[in-house]
Amino acid sequence: MPIKSYLAHPHDNKKVELLTALSALEECEVMPATNEDVLVLVTDTLDDASEELLKAKIEKIKSLKLLAMVSGFNSPQNQQ
Amino acid sequence: MKKRLGIISLFVLLFITFITIWNFSYQVGLEEGYIPIENVESHTNIPSESGVFERAEFALEYANMPIDENHQRTLSAYYNNRAYYGAPPSIPHPIKDEKSLGGNTCLQCHQNGGFVKQFDAYAPVTPHPEMINCRQCHVAQNSNTLFKPTNLAKVHAPKVGINNALIGTPPMIPHQIQMRENCLSCHAGPAAPKEIRVTHPERINCRQCHVPTDRVVSEITPFTRTNSNDNE
Amino acid sequence: MYNSLTNRRSFIKKMARLSAMAAAASMFPGILFASEQEDGIPKGANLDWKKGPCRFCGVGCGILVGTENGKAIAVKGDPNSSVNKGLLCVKGYHQTMCIQSKDRLTHALVKKNGTYVKTPISEALDIVANKMKDTIATHGKDSVAMYTSGQSTIPEGYVASKFMKGAIGTNNLDCNARLCMASAVAGFLTSFGADEPMGCYEDIDHADYFITWGNNMAEMHPVLFSRILEQKSRRGSKVIDFATRTTRSSTASDRSILFEPQTDLALGNAICYEIVNNGWVNKSFIEKHCNFSKGLTKMGYGMEDKYKFKDKPEKIDFDQYKAFLEDYTPEKVAKYSKVSVKDIKYLASIYGDPNKKVMSLWCMGVNQHTRGTWMNNIIYNIHLLTGKISEPGNSPFSLTGQPSACGTAREVGTFTHKLPKGVVTNPKHRELAAKIWKVPVEKIPSKPTYHTTEMFRAVDRGDIKFIWTQAVNPLVSLPKTSRYRPAMKKESCFVVVSDVFPTPTSDVADVILPASWHIEKSGLYGNSERRTQHWDKMVEGPGDTTPDAWMFIEVAKRMGYGDLFPYSKENHVEEIYNEYRQFHEGKKHGMAPLEVLKKESGAIWPYVDGKSTQWRFNAKYDPACSNGKDFHFYGKPDGKAVIWQRPYEPAAESPDSEYPFWLNTGRVIEHWHTGSMTRRIPVLHKAMPHAYVEFHPEDAKALSIRNGEKIKVTSRRGSCILPASINERGLPTKGQVFVPFFDENMMINDTTLDAFCPISKEPDFKKCAVKVEKA
Repeated sequence: MPIKSYLAHPHDNKKVELLTALSALEECEVMPATNEDVLVLVTDTLDDASEELLKAKIEKIKSLKLLAMVSGFNSPQNQQ
Repeated sequence: MKKRLGIISLFVLLFITFITIWNFSYQVGLEEGYIPIENVESHTNIPSESGVFERAEFALEYANMPIDENHQRTLSAYYNNRAYYGAPPSIPHPIKDEKSLGGNTCLQCHQNGGFVKQFDAYAPVTPHPEMINCRQCHVAQNSNTLFKPTNLAKVHAPKVGINNALIGTPPMIPHQIQMRENCLSCHAGPAAPKEIRVTHPERINCRQCHVPTDRVVSEITPFTRTNSNDNE
Repeated sequence: MYNSLTNRRSFIKKMARLSAMAAAASMFPGILFASEQEDGIPKGANLDWKKGPCRFCGVGCGILVGTENGKAIAVKGDPNSSVNKGLLCVKGYHQTMCIQSKDRLTHALVKKNGTYVKTPISEALDIVANKMKDTIATHGKDSVAMYTSGQSTIPEGYVASKFMKGAIGTNNLDCNARLCMASAVAGFLTSFGADEPMGCYEDIDHADYFITWGNNMAEMHPVLFSRILEQKSRRGSKVIDFATRTTRSSTASDRSILFEPQTDLALGNAICYEIVNNGWVNKSFIEKHCNFSKGLTKMGYGMEDKYKFKDKPEKIDFDQYKAFLEDYTPEKVAKYSKVSVKDIKYLASIYGDPNKKVMSLWCMGVNQHTRGTWMNNIIYNIHLLTGKISEPGNSPFSLTGQPSACGTAREVGTFTHKLPKGVVTNPKHRELAAKIWKVPVEKIPSKPTYHTTEMFRAVDRGDIKFIWTQAVNPLVSLPKTSRYRPAMKKESCFVVVSDVFPTPTSDVADVILPASWHIEKSGLYGNSERRTQHWDKMVEGPGDTTPDAWMFIEVAKRMGYGDLFPYSKENHVEEIYNEYRQFHEGKKHGMAPLEVLKKESGAIWPYVDGKSTQWRFNAKYDPACSNGKDFHFYGKPDGKAVIWQRPYEPAAESPDSEYPFWLNTGRVIEHWHTGSMTRRIPVLHKAMPHAYVEFHPEDAKALSIRNGEKIKVTSRRGSCILPASINERGLPTKGQVFVPFFDENMMINDTTLDAFCPISKEPDFKKCAVKVEKA
């Protein structure tokens, strides 16, 4: 069950769109900064395969300019 | 001869044109330049309002400044340097130039603050740098003894954390505003007492949320309706 | 096992989140996250936080109210609201403190033999209904009137309109937004054919220049001003204060330019002159999207009873407009406006620079003006000529004063000439209203009756025999109260006042109805940027207090209109809003469904396909644009905005030898309108305990007036005694005095003039002539 956190940078003036798009994804937890154009994104998926799938989904979002991973956790013993 | 005449008349023509154009543009210039004489104001405009924004240009820097925990002042140290709450602070360090009335001698350090190695402390910033006769009010402490003992009891200075009306609302201003209009000078930066250092210096318009709690000279009674129509 | 696993997961998630936030903080120093701000609130108290809009000004900040054991004990800014992002002003933070005031109206009071008798609410409502019915029976339906507010909620305004226009069948309904926003509305309708700003608050994040026209935003719209200040320090945007008084806003601005009262008309035209004559006109924009028109001039000032005016618009062309501007060269205007040619050219050059984004902001200085509609038109002219409109950062932005001046007064239409959609004079609009209200269309009268000033004149003349006021305090806020207070006391008119606290208006009432305050009822407000916000009831009101909408419904039922108001007591807000939404269906004004408003901190209309429309008339953002071009001003039949030829005309009353000073009135940050709420909040009262009369130091010196000395301000209409204030909160120009109007104990409106803009019928509270002497 990988848990990863990212900084998501929207295209100019697309912060709200990006926020809505990301919030729509079930595995994502989004926290927009109130005074800068950046969002904190935490993803929580069941396994590596769904993680890959989610990543692909996120990268398709048009309002996303750049996604930078900050940290990742994976605990295989918890896979049940 | 003809050629010369031609040249001369050409120059005369050019000269006349020049004079006309120059005159015309001079006249227009005069007209455009007409500005009603503005009287030089003999007073500072609304000092209690403008003071708030005086150090606003440094607000972002204050916000980004790291906190130097080893050299913070405490509120009690701040009050200890005053004879009573509201009194001008005394000068706790040797004076650089005994003949000076203050001005640049003091402002060198106290206009914008900064770390002073000699005293291992940050210089506090004055909220009223325009008043340059510093030593009219601020005096040095050259002796620790008293001429005669005194019964003067210190009045209690306002405490921190009890000046808000509701949980979590912005604290009110428990002190007089005059000469202290410039909030950021004492409430931001490394010399600000840590208890009263503002967490959000970048907000600038302090009195949008923080208002004085009391008038200095007279007690304020609760709102009473005096103009009730029954009285007429 | 399951528990520890989820705990572990949430711990890891928290760690992941924190590391991302730390990384963000290293890239953007000073970055803020909503959740962090929420954490900053002291814990300990077992508070239940509920969201809503602030009770006070038209900015419409999101607030969170903390309740414990059924009492509101804390307020904080809603970090999820895009309006204020967690910040409030001093009024907002302390708003709930007023409801515990000791003189709160908790029961209905009925005047019997000169004294007020505590009466059960149902009995009081019986009295109101019977009185209203009898009055209609004897004197006709146009003898009853209702006067509401820009502080009424959307359901309250809607029920008031349906009750008066649909059930009773009279247009005798107006509201106090007439005193504050009417000129803005008339400006929008004449220039664009559609009310309310095209832009939104996000314009602030894009503009390079902010020009405030007669608008002390630092005190009146403090949270928006803090957003402007943030742009000033972060991006170096410039703020220019253009006004008749030096204020807190002037001292925070990069430049303060002062002008002589009323000359703003000429100055606006001078800016247009410079734009036209320096070739700064956006030619393709005006060719594609603008018409030119002129209207009647020398309209008068409406100071006499039953004054009537109707503008006659006439199309002109660009050359005629250009010729008209010849009278407004900076050199000519400088002579009487007391603004230097240099400053006029400076302002024009900002608007004229195609690379600079400019936001103009204004409120009462422009609206409370005997030529308020013209002044609104002129500011739009500047933006239209340069094509700086309807796009992020280029925005003429008309701010509102009251929390629902837009949502209720303007959108629901609690004005005599308005319907929830459109105007009473338009048969199609009447048909739509009749259909939704389920009344015969003949019921809705087609002629507007009394606008506010004329309504109180009619009370004075005895034409109106019954008036019901709600959430409003006209005997402090009307101009020339010296006439209207005796008028309201007359036996000829039965006065019903719904309010939360006793006021000078409730003092003259025959029946006082105890209203629920803001958070003691559910409701909806609409703010300046077309944002509709909903809140749920958070605490119980004391005694017999009842939501205003429900009192209207109860009276309507008692009068036999029960069928038209089939709402339930518990759920009437929701039912009414859903009915009201039908009026605005479509891409031009669609309102967000209630489920969305309950979840989010407001949504901006037109709300189309689940999305707020931030910039109207711009095809990039507004799905209602249908002409295939970049811009479509669809409020006008030909899709073009109008540039109006509006001249300078003098004020209704100017200083002379007998009354040598201009009197300007206004507000202070601590108090909201007539102070009936804020003066009952100890923190605010202590900070600003009474009104004052402000002098320019040189005037004070010439009259040897000292600070705090009692001064009698007298006009042709009345007088008022106040302490002098010299160089404190503000600084009027020489020859002008300023008085805030919040203080019912020092009634400055006894002296003001009830002259109004003939088009919008909004009175001018900013200009009349007074003399001053030591009292």
